[in-house]
Amino acid sequence: MPIIRTLTSFLIRIVALIIVILVLGLIAILAAYYFIGPSFPLTPSMLINPQEAIAFTFALMDTDFFRIVVFPGFTFVALYAAIAGLWERKLLAKIQLRVGPLYAGKFEGILQPIADVLKLLFKELVIPRVVDRFFFIAAPLLTVTIATAAIAVIPVTERWVIARSDVGVLVIFAVLGFFPITALMAAWSSNSRYPMLGGLRALHQMVAYEIPLILSVLAPVVFAGSLNLIDIVEKQSSIWFALLAPISALTFYICSLAELERIPFDLPEAEPELVSGWLTEYGGMNFGLILGIAVYIKLYVLSALFTTLFLGGWLGPQPLPPEFWFIFKTFIVTTFLLIPRGVFPRLRIDLLLRQSWAVYFILALINLVVAAAAVLGGFKL
Amino acid sequence: MVDVAFAVLAVITVISAILALEAKEVVYGAIALALSFVGIAGFFALLDAVFLAMFQLTVYVGAIAVLILFTVMLVRREQWLKAKEGVHRAAGVLVAIVVALGLGYLVYASTIATVIPSVEQAPFTLIGAQILTEYWLAFITLALVLASAVIGAVVLAKLERD
Repeated sequence: MPIIRTLTSFLIRIVALIIVILVLGLIAILAAYYFIGPSFPLTPSMLINPQEAIAFTFALMDTDFFRIVVFPGFTFVALYAAIAGLWERKLLAKIQLRVGPLYAGKFEGILQPIADVLKLLFKELVIPRVVDRFFFIAAPLLTVTIATAAIAVIPVTERWVIARSDVGVLVIFAVLGFFPITALMAAWSSNSRYPMLGGLRALHQMVAYEIPLILSVLAPVVFAGSLNLIDIVEKQSSIWFALLAPISALTFYICSLAELERIPFDLPEAEPELVSGWLTEYGGMNFGLILGIAVYIKLYVLSALFTTLFLGGWLGPQPLPPEFWFIFKTFIVTTFLLIPRGVFPRLRIDLLLRQSWAVYFILALINLVVAAAAVLGGFKL
Repeated sequence: MVDVAFAVLAVITVISAILALEAKEVVYGAIALALSFVGIAGFFALLDAVFLAMFQLTVYVGAIAVLILFTVMLVRREQWLKAKEGVHRAAGVLVAIVVALGLGYLVYASTIATVIPSVEQAPFTLIGAQILTEYWLAFITLALVLASAVIGAVVLAKLERD
């Protein structure tokens, strides 16, 4: 009786899903209670007294748990990723005189991210027979995890930061250093030609562009005299580092394009020649984890880093809250990172590598030398 | 809490280090090596040396492990010959145990147990100042060695191409 078997398996899955959701909810509640417990006891009277519940919510907002899970943490960034994805499609469509997503949500396809995620979730997870299963499944998960790790040290405002690290800039570069490994894991485990070529290109590109990226960050660090991202923002209260170190800012912008594998540097996943490069064998939510979430979280991380290092972070005119200024500036930077995709053709691999070593490397050094000379000469902020 | 973290890190580091040597797939071995580097970075972080931990991650995971992976990826699995087992393996394990015991004894017998660590975390600016003042000679020598290595690599690559 195939119908009955299908039905029972369907029911089992539904029940399993409900149990998983219940268990996860319990874990979330317990975690919230663990973080807030000693300072603010959880009482049953909260259920009927709304004022207590509001106070509890406000107390919860000051815990690390809230920061990691909600505001500068994962939920905020995932939302940002979804909006950035929609924004990219609409923006590129307008640049190229198309209409872009139009139907989902009646108004200009505003619910398209939800539709995309639903579609990816309902697709079958195809795992080809000859792949290396462990790495094939681990690579997308690791990519998302590592991308998310970087947001821990990025300060949205002085209050909204997860980890106040004295070496915040280094943390970000330590995290970025993991991406070639996950790309290689995905490429190698796919056991196929296009992913292999894409993975090798990704490796070359990421390793080559990481060096000018790090060097271009050093000019603001030298000006601020600190590796702490919060200090770096506060030192920009009189003048943005983008004005003091314009060449570094430009180099950082170009190198983050390369680090994000966006056009004109999208050789690792070139659709026409390599059929999406190192992602060829991925489908369904495995694909969605990398291209739908991890790439846009990385986009957020690099835009937020540009805002923090060069555009004065949350600093801005008074009546609007600092949170607004940070998100606004980050969104502008994201837009500038998205635009080249609508305009430029793709570079050739040898030109790409030569540019990295011969042009951006030197450009990044110029402003570093200028900054060092200025600081040695007694320039103070 | 610190003890639990230490135990977990120790298990991760040791197991992945063994895996790096013993894995049949070379790529698995390379990734296990990267994982053991991450474990060592965790030890640095536990010792409040976040600066060192981050450099361990950037240099060892971000550069050296990637370089090893890069080399290993270019080779297909059938081309790796299995090393001879048996006597060599037993001898290797024996040597490793002897070295570990000897080093352990040396550390245990030394004065390191009686050193009282300063409570304050050394700021990384102090490390930078020390490198550029007291240890400038070693610093510059290292820089020159690395530079000559890079120039040598470039020259060799050029020679091969011409």
